[in-house]
Amino acid sequence: MYLALMVLFKIAGRRSLAELTTFDFVLLMIIGEATQQALLGDDFSLTNSVLVIITLIAIDFGLSLLKQRSSWVSRLVSGEATIIIEDGKLLHERLRRARIGEADVMEAARSSQGVETLDQIKFAILERNGKISVIPRET
Amino acid sequence: MKGSKDHPDLRSRDFPVKEDMAYQVRVWRFERWGWYLLLLVILLALLGLFSRGPLSSRQVDGGDGKVSVKYEMFHRNGSSNPMTVTVQGVPDATVELDLQGDLMEGFSIEILQPQPVRANSAGRGLKFWLQTDAQGRASIYLTLRGDGLGRFSTTLSSPGSATVNITQFIFP
Repeated sequence: MYLALMVLFKIAGRRSLAELTTFDFVLLMIIGEATQQALLGDDFSLTNSVLVIITLIAIDFGLSLLKQRSSWVSRLVSGEATIIIEDGKLLHERLRRARIGEADVMEAARSSQGVETLDQIKFAILERNGKISVIPRET
Repeated sequence: MKGSKDHPDLRSRDFPVKEDMAYQVRVWRFERWGWYLLLLVILLALLGLFSRGPLSSRQVDGGDGKVSVKYEMFHRNGSSNPMTVTVQGVPDATVELDLQGDLMEGFSIEILQPQPVRANSAGRGLKFWLQTDAQGRASIYLTLRGDGLGRFSTTLSSPGSATVNITQFIFP
């Protein structure tokens, strides 16, 4: 189940786990419910719940250990940061492939840096967790 | 050309983040193909590959028309699906139906209607004696719950009839 979810969210891409809109929130809630059903089945005992939780935490812990040992695994599991604005210029091909628009970037710029226009941005980076971080131009 | 691998946008930068665009492009391609795969899975599910649909519902009979089965080929563990078996026999008498094979290992019978005149376990399966109607036909309606995983082969027969073989698959 964990593996299936990992693969599915990899397909969905980084932005699916970043800033939550109402739509995203509902989606995550429904995914949570569906997952719980699959993991617990008919068995809602304390024992089964604790076993499931222990297994999930152990997998998470194990993966983070693996990520430390191997940068290849780290990259596979967590992804990489990608520059999307360079010197105030949008890198359109990257935006297209990452399925983000200029509006998404400007929203991140306004909320994190109080930036007004595109040319006030030096760099904008799509981080591994899907958030867009903005580095403003020094005035 | 838009989207070409040599697009200047796709060159790896070094500052402020050290990039490996070759890898990132592969990730994006994986996302794209993954999306198509998701669409395919949804289409197949709607068509019944994962139970209940044109790809899954089957009606077979054993050549001589004595035993016929309407069933679902694909099941999901924990969920129930119907199976109907119709046997042709002598009017207003009992006719025997023999269910052999893996059925009882992979499924539990949740509902069985109508109550057979007599029911026995036989070998790895079950034997039912059903009351036929005025036309000599008897039908038994089962609701099967998939409890196992994988492929299960079952044979249904009646004395003097051709054997009907069915295969069912239970998804986890």
